[in-house]
Amino acid sequence: MDRALSEKPTAEKVPQSGAAGVVLNGHYLPPPADKDGKQWVRTSALILKPVSDLYELWRDVEKASLWQEQIVEVRATGPKTSHWVMLTGDDPDKSIEWDSEVLNDEPGKRIAWNSIGGDSDNAGEVIFETAPGGRGTVVTVLQEFHMSKLASAWETLTGRNPKQAIIENLRHFKALAETGEIPRTQGQPHGPRGTSGKTKKSLYGETIATPPGGQRIAS
Amino acid sequence: MKAVCWMGTSDVQTMTVDDPKILNPHDAILKITRTAICGSDLHLYDGFIPTMESGDILGHEFMGLVEEVGKDVTNLRRGDRVVVPFTIACGNCIFCKKKIWSACDNTNPNAHLMEAAYGYSGSGLFGYSHMMGGYAGGQAQYVRVPFANVGPLKIESDLPDEKVLFLSDIFPTGYMAAENAQIEEGDTVAVWGCGPVGIFAIASAFMLGAARVIAIDRLPERLEMARNFGAITVDYSEEDVDVLTAIKDLTGGMGPDSCIDAVGLEAHSTELQGFYDKVKTAVMLETDRPSVLRQAIQAVRKGGTLSIPGVYGGLLDKVPFGAAFGKGITMKMGQTNMHNYMKPLLERVEKGQIDPSSIISHRITLDEVPEMYKVWRDKRDNVTKIVIDPWAERAA
Ligand SMILES: NC(=O)c1ccc[n+]([C@@H]2O[C@H](COP(=O)([O-])OP(=O)(O)OC[C@H]3O[C@@H](n4cnc5c(N)ncnc54)[C@H](O)[C@@H]3O)[C@@H](O)[C@H]2O)c1
Ligand SMILES: [Zn+2]
Ligand SMILES: [Zn+2]
Repeated sequence: MDRALSEKPTAEKVPQSGAAGVVLNGHYLPPPADKDGKQWVRTSALILKPVSDLYELWRDVEKASLWQEQIVEVRATGPKTSHWVMLTGDDPDKSIEWDSEVLNDEPGKRIAWNSIGGDSDNAGEVIFETAPGGRGTVVTVLQEFHMSKLASAWETLTGRNPKQAIIENLRHFKALAETGEIPRTQGQPHGPRGTSGKTKKSLYGETIATPPGGQRIAS
Repeated sequence: MKAVCWMGTSDVQTMTVDDPKILNPHDAILKITRTAICGSDLHLYDGFIPTMESGDILGHEFMGLVEEVGKDVTNLRRGDRVVVPFTIACGNCIFCKKKIWSACDNTNPNAHLMEAAYGYSGSGLFGYSHMMGGYAGGQAQYVRVPFANVGPLKIESDLPDEKVLFLSDIFPTGYMAAENAQIEEGDTVAVWGCGPVGIFAIASAFMLGAARVIAIDRLPERLEMARNFGAITVDYSEEDVDVLTAIKDLTGGMGPDSCIDAVGLEAHSTELQGFYDKVKTAVMLETDRPSVLRQAIQAVRKGGTLSIPGVYGGLLDKVPFGAAFGKGITMKMGQTNMHNYMKPLLERVEKGQIDPSSIISHRITLDEVPEMYKVWRDKRDNVTKIVIDPWAERAA
């Protein structure tokens, strides 16, 4: 399939299979379709940090609360297991909890996980690859979840569709990795919002607390 | 503190709000010493840019004294005097590294809104809608500046504020417009709009080698300003003046090498198409009024360049794309990549090569801002640029 053009001095080898099923036999594949109550989301980001740094930041599960929305605490309970607590709204007493286990850990390459009981039924993987041309690292997340308490908590209480939440979390991860902080406007001054302003805030997803990012890292 | 709040279309009010505080490690708080009203603010005032919320603090052209810095800001200290670029950039993402600062990946907390509208999100901007970040702006006494380690330009000379304030937007914007016009020595350049952006585009076109600049507007005080900067002016509202004919007459029938649209989405039009756009935008079939864009595409010479600093926000109707293709023109546009231009342009000001303060017509207090938005919109009272001293009291 490579033979029609011989002069391509800077081309890279076409991958036969790619991260999270993006490419198979040199051909693009769309993300898996939602079916039987199972939903999928695939998202990726180009991050200007070495693969190893990004792998390590992601693998450090206790730091997930710095960059994942609504996650208030993650406790490592073993080398591969962790306990997760997620807020389901503004009320700090209302949360859901679950345990998670790393199924596959390929340092500097890929992490795959699965929930193992509790209020959430999710599984996912994250793949770290050098970008074409060596221009940074492509981080691809593929996550599946059943509409459980977790998914509905996201949706009904944060106003964020759970797929979008995963996309936002990868965005926060990138910002934290590249800049040491996550951009935020919550807490800045403003004039009276009135009812229309308040409606717009929730419509625009601005009522969801931005994760602390660098606010907490060094303090 | 006192701040100018957007409370709805054609409704801005000066209100008392909380003082800003440090929210992130790279934040700084400025005590604002001078700030301005921009042509871009009119698009918010007139309701053309979506995702404004009542209570939003306006303003993106400001400078001041550093009051406080976050724990990771190492380049600034309390008391430093700085001008702040209106685009917020992180300095570390691939776009910042490529110096396309206004496309920064990491400064828009509401990136998903812009992604939905434009495919990808640009950088956050001060005081310019929630789609563009929802950051509180600087028509106020204090402001929080995110990524203060990257954007603010320190002013170490004793130049007065008024001479350096416009490094926050319109001078770099006019300069990038001229740079985007790909001017070669001896070129003829036509500029639509003799507002602040147009004026700085005229000045910059000459700096970059233009032999002749043709400036188009209808307001006598602005046309006079354009002549002061060295342009030949065309008043499109004069009876019997047809802009395309005028441009042909002034270029030996060939058309300008480059055209610059420094008007944008609220272009005024005396022709039938202006009425057509008004009706269409009123019923939301079109969001912008692109009459200058249409004219500039028509006017530029074969193989020429069209540079568009004027803002467009959404959908445009009846843009003569066939003409653009048929003549093989190049179009360049976008929010200004501020960080590339502030320092070199400051040097030009310091050397006395240009006096940006010469465009100022009004100096006002924060309390006068609401009425001045109307004057600015209606272009009354020979207004050319309004500068605000946020600490001055209204004269009784
Ligand atoms: N690209 C950027 O980053 C950037 C930055 C700042 C401003 N801008 C945009 O640049 C544009 C100009 O800004 P400004 O501050 O100079 O605004 P302004 O409102 O003061 O000036 C606009 C001028 O255009 C003239 N005009 C209107 N219709 C015209 C027509 N049909 N033909 C010729 N002239 C016409 C007006 O008379 C006025 O003098 C605005 O759209 C603004 O949003 C863009
Ligand atoms: Zn401006
Ligand atoms: Zn950036």
